[in-house]
Amino acid sequence: MTETVRAIHVGVPEDIEDGEAVVVPAERTGTGDGIAVFHCDGEFYALDDTCTHAEASLADGWIEDGEVECPMHSGRFCLSTGEALCMPATENARTHKVEIGDDGLWLHPGSST
Amino acid sequence: MSAVPDSVCVVGGGLAAVSTAAELRAQGFTGRVTLLSAEEHPPYDRPPLSKDVLLGRITYDEAALRPAQWYTDHDIDLYLGERVVSLDPAGPTVLTERGEQVRAGAVVLATGGVPRRLPAALVRPERTHVLRTLDDARGLRAALAPGTRVLCVGAGLIGAEAAAAAGALGASVTVIDPVGVPLVPLLGEQIATALHGLHHSNGVRTLQGALGQVHEGSDGTLTCTVDTAGGPEKVTADVLLTGIGTDPDPSLAADAGLETDRGVLVDARRATSAPGVYAVGDLAQAHPGTEERPQHGEHWENALKDAGAAAASILGNPVPAQGAPWFWSDRHGVHLEAVGTMSEADHTVVRGDVDSGSFTVFGLRGDRCVAAASLDRPHDIRAARRLVDRAVPVEADALADIVRPLKSLLRRPAAVRSR
Ligand SMILES: Cc1cc2nc3c(=O)[nH]c(=O)nc-3n(C[C@H](O)[C@H](O)[C@H](O)COP(=O)(O)OP(=O)(O)OC[C@H]3O[C@@H](n4cnc5c(N)ncnc54)[C@H](O)[C@@H]3O)c2cc1C
Ligand code: FES
Repeated sequence: MTETVRAIHVGVPEDIEDGEAVVVPAERTGTGDGIAVFHCDGEFYALDDTCTHAEASLADGWIEDGEVECPMHSGRFCLSTGEALCMPATENARTHKVEIGDDGLWLHPGSST
Repeated sequence: MSAVPDSVCVVGGGLAAVSTAAELRAQGFTGRVTLLSAEEHPPYDRPPLSKDVLLGRITYDEAALRPAQWYTDHDIDLYLGERVVSLDPAGPTVLTERGEQVRAGAVVLATGGVPRRLPAALVRPERTHVLRTLDDARGLRAALAPGTRVLCVGAGLIGAEAAAAAGALGASVTVIDPVGVPLVPLLGEQIATALHGLHHSNGVRTLQGALGQVHEGSDGTLTCTVDTAGGPEKVTADVLLTGIGTDPDPSLAADAGLETDRGVLVDARRATSAPGVYAVGDLAQAHPGTEERPQHGEHWENALKDAGAAAASILGNPVPAQGAPWFWSDRHGVHLEAVGTMSEADHTVVRGDVDSGSFTVFGLRGDRCVAAASLDRPHDIRAARRLVDRAVPVEADALADIVRPLKSLLRRPAAVRSR
């Protein structure tokens, strides 16, 4: 597992509407992939942005009931565990920790939840 | 309800077969699961064959449905190169070409379909490429190089994808189809037209007509005569590719006395007319009147849903609702998706800008969304699918209003919900 190097400020909770996600680009995450930060039913979650099946951005997916459905072939992932829930996704997505502090949302790339 | 069988034999090695095995385990089955696949390759996924595999963007191994270890981890006995040649519904028992006999508590037929071919009288079968298997994709890819002249017969989903991939590899491609704009019944006029138009804007030539004659020159060049409305037209080709449809092959079941039509007839449980024998995926065809499984949508997700339903039936679990049919297709870098049944619509609504090439057409019947087809707007399809499955009443204006998130249409007012 990658050491937590630093946390990235991704704005305030209000920046991401419920049911939406933003991408922190790979240049900022330092993990080799962009990270999607999701807001679902009041909770925040983060997964590697690139779908484990092919190349879609999970931030562009359909976010509902604690899951994200990939916009390409509808593979679904659990937002909290990253578990691949249905075909064609067979590989779990990597999760990252998101913290809500007084000064906003902090993403901890490389630290799994 | 009959007792849960102690073993299940799945015949086939595609998505429907592997998913049936996966679903049996996911739903708690601990008995023996045997998979008999005619192919020598470990089970792989077909959609990439006309896309990333043909383009050389992914390796053959990357098209595998599951990693090899998965079969061991899930205690699934996978036998490759075992073509089943007969089925005895009593037992039930299957026999393979190599003489293996497997008797199981339940048999699931998942042998898919076979691509249609041009009549041998028209052209030697060795001179035409079809695209159904990994070996087909390998063979076609090996035949393509920059400048290769390709004639693709059939501009439906697979033909069009393969033609686009061949064009991207630098081949000089002509696609012919007797229908001016293919896929209209499936996608509606606007999406089908925009989609077909992508060939032209990406340097693939389209020609409306049917293949009349093929002359094979001594150097191997094929001189093809295409019968068009304006008279015969000659197209010179090095490679002849056909995408003229796929048919299920129900002979195994028919020979065993099961009820068959185009495919093997099943009810909502995916049960055939023989007790203990099920059929799934491209092979299976719903009995007329089986509303829970729409007629024969030979698409990827249909195979997956069938697998879940058959596993549930075998184990005596409730069979999940089928939901609206859905599929995707990719050509010339554009992602198509469609959900529902467009022919059921009595009017349509467009969301997005048709001229930009990225838009969605919703098919409505009264105040219900029954279908949608979309180019590069996958979010719309995910919303549409839920609108269809949940039978949410919708207003056409709201669907067309690009600034209004479709998700808001799915949140019904509390008063309506509680009624
Ligand atoms: C090139 C291509 C591209 C596609 N692209 C898309 C797409 O983009 N989107 C989409 O929704 N759908 C797509 N599809 C359709 C989708 O792949 C099929 O619907 C799906 O593969 C059906 O799965 P199946 O398991 O029923 O059949 P198949 O995948 O055909 O599998 C059948 C298996 O059974 C084996 N078999 C046959 N006979 C026997 C026997 N007697 N004994 C043992 N084994 C046997 C075969 O070798 C094969 O492995 C595409 C199909 C092709 C061919
Ligand atoms: S890219 Fe996400 S499911 Fe295929």
